[in-house]
Amino acid sequence: MQRTSFYFFIGLAVLGLLVGSWGMVQRLLYGLNPVAFGSYVPWGLWVAFYLLFLGLSAGAFLVTTLAYVFEMERFHRLGRLAAYTVLIVLLCEVLFITLDLGRMSRIYRFLISPSFTSLMTWMFILFNAMLIIYALKTFFLIREDLVAWSQDPQRKGRNLYRLLALGKSDYSPADRARDHKTVHGLSLISLPVGLLFYGTNGAFFAILMNRPIWNSALTPLLFIVAAVLSGGALIAFLTHVFLRDDELVTSLGKAVLYNLVILVFLEILQFFVGYLGDNPRVVAALDLIALGDYWWTFWIVHLGLGGLIPLLILIFSKNSPRAVTWACALIVLTFLAVRFNFIIPDLAVYKLEGLEHTFYHARLRTHYTPNLNEWLVSLWVVSLGLLAFLLGSRWLPVISSDHRGGMQHAH
Amino acid sequence: MGKILPSEDVLIRMQRDLKRALQRDPKKVRWTMVIDQGKCTGCHSCTLGCVAENKLPPGVVYRLVIEEEIGRYPAVRRRFLPRPCMHCQNPPCTKVCPVTATYINNQGVVVVDYNRCIGCRYCLVACPYSARTSDFGEWYTRNTPEAPSILVGRTKAAQGYELQPATEYGRKWPQRGTGSPIGNARKCHFCLHRLAVGMLPACVTTCTARATFFGDRNDPESLVYQLLGSPRIFVLKPELGTQPAVYYLK
Repeated sequence: MQRTSFYFFIGLAVLGLLVGSWGMVQRLLYGLNPVAFGSYVPWGLWVAFYLLFLGLSAGAFLVTTLAYVFEMERFHRLGRLAAYTVLIVLLCEVLFITLDLGRMSRIYRFLISPSFTSLMTWMFILFNAMLIIYALKTFFLIREDLVAWSQDPQRKGRNLYRLLALGKSDYSPADRARDHKTVHGLSLISLPVGLLFYGTNGAFFAILMNRPIWNSALTPLLFIVAAVLSGGALIAFLTHVFLRDDELVTSLGKAVLYNLVILVFLEILQFFVGYLGDNPRVVAALDLIALGDYWWTFWIVHLGLGGLIPLLILIFSKNSPRAVTWACALIVLTFLAVRFNFIIPDLAVYKLEGLEHTFYHARLRTHYTPNLNEWLVSLWVVSLGLLAFLLGSRWLPVISSDHRGGMQHAH
Repeated sequence: MGKILPSEDVLIRMQRDLKRALQRDPKKVRWTMVIDQGKCTGCHSCTLGCVAENKLPPGVVYRLVIEEEIGRYPAVRRRFLPRPCMHCQNPPCTKVCPVTATYINNQGVVVVDYNRCIGCRYCLVACPYSARTSDFGEWYTRNTPEAPSILVGRTKAAQGYELQPATEYGRKWPQRGTGSPIGNARKCHFCLHRLAVGMLPACVTTCTARATFFGDRNDPESLVYQLLGSPRIFVLKPELGTQPAVYYLK
């Protein structure tokens, strides 16, 4: 990334943090009172963002799968970038879901009174497993550079690098071999853990028996595909911006294309079975997606900007890294619409007939439009993630691996 | 005369049933509610009684009455469906709680531990009856103007009521605005705090049509035990297998 672009995005992130801080102050002072969602649509924009970031973390999963399952050697080069990206998006993800809790100070309850019948507990466990795996992976991938940087008299912040390298002052070939082995082991562990993590997040919704669309065995599969699609698109975009590796970008573009086709196919199946099954509640939920107040997020944002256009680009300009990058950027930027349309319409179907005419209160209605507070808090979290990513890309050896003295095949 | 008027108000009978249940081994008691749709007049007294008893803030409701219109003009009928928590014996809500904050107590009542609930609202999403609401910290007195008054001022007078929470679950809760249950999931608890001192739930005593019955379904002498044998009995959404402890009479 060029220096001017870097400072432009740093400025953007700082501005986002400043503007968003108004929403954060409201959130911290008044709890969930300033939000627009209520008891019938109990999850809103923040859960949609949570799911978005959950999916974005799957980029590393895709890279590891391509590298190890399909034995595509060149993807090893993306190890650092993918692992560090996972760390940042997991940070955003946990911030969103913590801010969504009515009593977030009690998050420690997951540790002292967990219920293993709840998939939310398993999500907590798997989230932490992912965090630990990718934190360790990032550490072992960049340790050699951290040690080198801590010994470099020309480099500012040597003490910080020494601290991050846990005081290690020399790095031998034996260390390199050991770290390589550790990273390899962590990558292999990350495959089943990642699959469980993304699948469990889908199952989290699928097990709710009274939910018209969610309650389907298709949901966990949809989650895995959606995660790999959005995460893969993000990694392809970042590869072009930071590594400028055309071959990798076009290869990732192919993987993104396959996932996009599968996702759209699964969505068509969902609509086909739902409409032909003719269950009134399922039809009501599908109608809300396709014809409801937010029809444009489905047809224009998701299927148009995030589906059809990237599909055409990825088919007809598959050898152009620049075009592939644009297609991937479109997928990432519009993916919030996919998550929003997954969460809200299903919740917005009244569970009992007549409930819509009973006991009037804004919190007891299914019409939901995210308010300014929710957008400001979201802006704050996204800006924090962007700032952390940019600072890390500049001050930590997380972007490049090969040509800046990193490990060969270090994934 | 005796054939036209009931010999005693069902409240007296249920009060007697309650007294007997409280003398039994608590573990053998299974609290049950039966609602007679044929008698319900849709007066909403139960809703108001519940709101007043539990001092529910705006947007929180434990027992509402759904009004349904059936048919088309001129063959239109109106039906009322009071909907408390069903206190399912196979509840979807307790299984999804990640921190064991909601569970079935030893008398079959689904309860929420306000001091444990993290406010994730997964239970709200899981409940097939929309019987749970979240307390978003709303105030009836939020926009009350501070008009002068002879004694204490309008806002202060109004807040005097609202600040002091009800003794739900038989506990003294902190002044409203300083902690739970704001941010928590809230729901009907069969007025456990009233039962503990020998009083029927507020919705039962306020029912003007005497359409709500309450008691121990394990006591063969109780009114609810007898009503459960009626061919008119049904539960909401039986296909889900939630086994509600709230029954309806057609």
